[in-house]
Amino acid sequence: MIKITNVTKQFYSLTAIDNLSLRLPQGEVLGILGPNGAGKTTLLKLIAGILHPTSGSIQPISGNWPRIGYKPERLLFPNHLTITRYLELVALVSNVPTNRVARSIRHSLQQTGLETMAHRKIKECSKGMRQRLAMAQALIGNPDLLLLDEPSSGLDPHGQAEINQLIRNLHQSGKTILISSHRLREITEVCTYLVILNHGRILYENSMASALAARAQTIIETDKDLSPIQDALLTLHEDIQIDGNKLYLRNEAMRLRRQALVMLLHAGYDVTHVEQRRKTLAEIYAEAVQ
Amino acid sequence: MTQRIQVLTRYFFRRLVFSFSGLIYMILALAFWAVLFPPTQQTPDIAYYVIVIGAFGAAISFLSTLSIASRANEAENYPVIVRLPGRIEYLTAVLVSALLFTLILQLLVALLALFRGPVLTTGRFLELPPLWLSVNITFATLALHATDFVTAGWSRVNIYGILAILLFGQSNSAPASNWLAGQMANLSRFFNAHGWPSIAQYASRAATWFATRGPDSLREFFGVVFWPFRAMSEGSLVGRFQPVQALAPAVLLLYASILFLLAADFFANKDLDFTE
Repeated sequence: MIKITNVTKQFYSLTAIDNLSLRLPQGEVLGILGPNGAGKTTLLKLIAGILHPTSGSIQPISGNWPRIGYKPERLLFPNHLTITRYLELVALVSNVPTNRVARSIRHSLQQTGLETMAHRKIKECSKGMRQRLAMAQALIGNPDLLLLDEPSSGLDPHGQAEINQLIRNLHQSGKTILISSHRLREITEVCTYLVILNHGRILYENSMASALAARAQTIIETDKDLSPIQDALLTLHEDIQIDGNKLYLRNEAMRLRRQALVMLLHAGYDVTHVEQRRKTLAEIYAEAVQ
Repeated sequence: MTQRIQVLTRYFFRRLVFSFSGLIYMILALAFWAVLFPPTQQTPDIAYYVIVIGAFGAAISFLSTLSIASRANEAENYPVIVRLPGRIEYLTAVLVSALLFTLILQLLVALLALFRGPVLTTGRFLELPPLWLSVNITFATLALHATDFVTAGWSRVNIYGILAILLFGQSNSAPASNWLAGQMANLSRFFNAHGWPSIAQYASRAATWFATRGPDSLREFFGVVFWPFRAMSEGSLVGRFQPVQALAPAVLLLYASILFLLAADFFANKDLDFTE
């Protein structure tokens, strides 16, 4: 849907986005993870057209520029309006035909669980309701691309689950979504593609399924400290790590599980536990950011 | 496009009308009427009516554009501006809503001023729209450049700097001309002393020109930009416009177009940094 090519964004001497290239394919839910100041919000603002790249280009992959629904991180609204009036403003500005505005508003209110609060003034809304309203306005007019900056922050666990379910439903209906979030669980649950960003650069990108599947590891636990045979074990593969009485076999090193076990048994170790598990997103994230 | 501009214009207009600033402007308009067109005094001159209410429109259009632009520059509008195919629609809505607000206040003062005021003949009445509207539009577009909303880099300093230089040059043409005449005379003496009499002669001629015709020429040079305002006020005072003077509103609209195109260009190409 969108192709970002060698985009750099500088604010005076600060480089917020540094020569970043990324493709956002149609129908994907792309999650952007990164620490504070990594450039996540700047990237979303660049795609939304709020900021202009210092260099590089952001272009549609084919055809016209997609219609964008943008949910900013900060929950700021014209507080004097009611929820319905505000959504009406967004709908009319988004080219929703006048005779379909009411239906479009009703639909987005239902999707975000705000239907009973339609006539409430925004200034009377709680943080959770404002978060839902921010989602509702982004959904108005059935945009092709949704840019969601921290979509579930400020919501209770039930609200977070509802928003995650909503994003999954939107994905199933073919929407392209870009989410910036600190919440690893949210990203794991709803995203189909993962990008880890820091200092404006992509440190890691992969489809979520591949990221979680390919990065499996085997942990072999022994009865004694492994330091005496550490050198011999490390000669097997570079992705082997030793921590006390635990031996970690990562990525390609997992194929050497049998050899490692034989080596341990020959050396007189007793294997107390063998566990094969997938890496969590938290571990992938920590590894990438470090 | 028209629907989107209409919707945004209505939104910005309402935001100003139902705000504290809107109330202040309303009180200001009534105070202006009470002070400058006191109903207890004699009927004012029709020229006074045209010029004073025209100046009121200029001031209100400038101020209301600043007020609406500051509201349009708030971060709550990010989701709205992202939906627009072009930022110019947003800028147009800001301008139109400010002009609409100005027009209403100007009409209010104009109607109130007719109470025991001058007799407005059809001929004089038909003069009013081009005179007042062209001034309002020019001042509103000028005000756009004074806002954080539109300004990009040094654009505000450049535009208002040029305006300040022109105003200063126009009102201080005599001292400036005398100073330049003095400098040229010094230069002439310098070249004479160093054996370049031909160049010294040119400098001497320039000094004479600045001392004699300089003040008027400089005033004309710096004041040429303000000609439409002079032409409109002269025509209003006399009661009829010469063919050339009648072009003044059109020239003002040309200024407004240039200022708006500049504003649109700055606004379209800048990074939006709305206030939170």
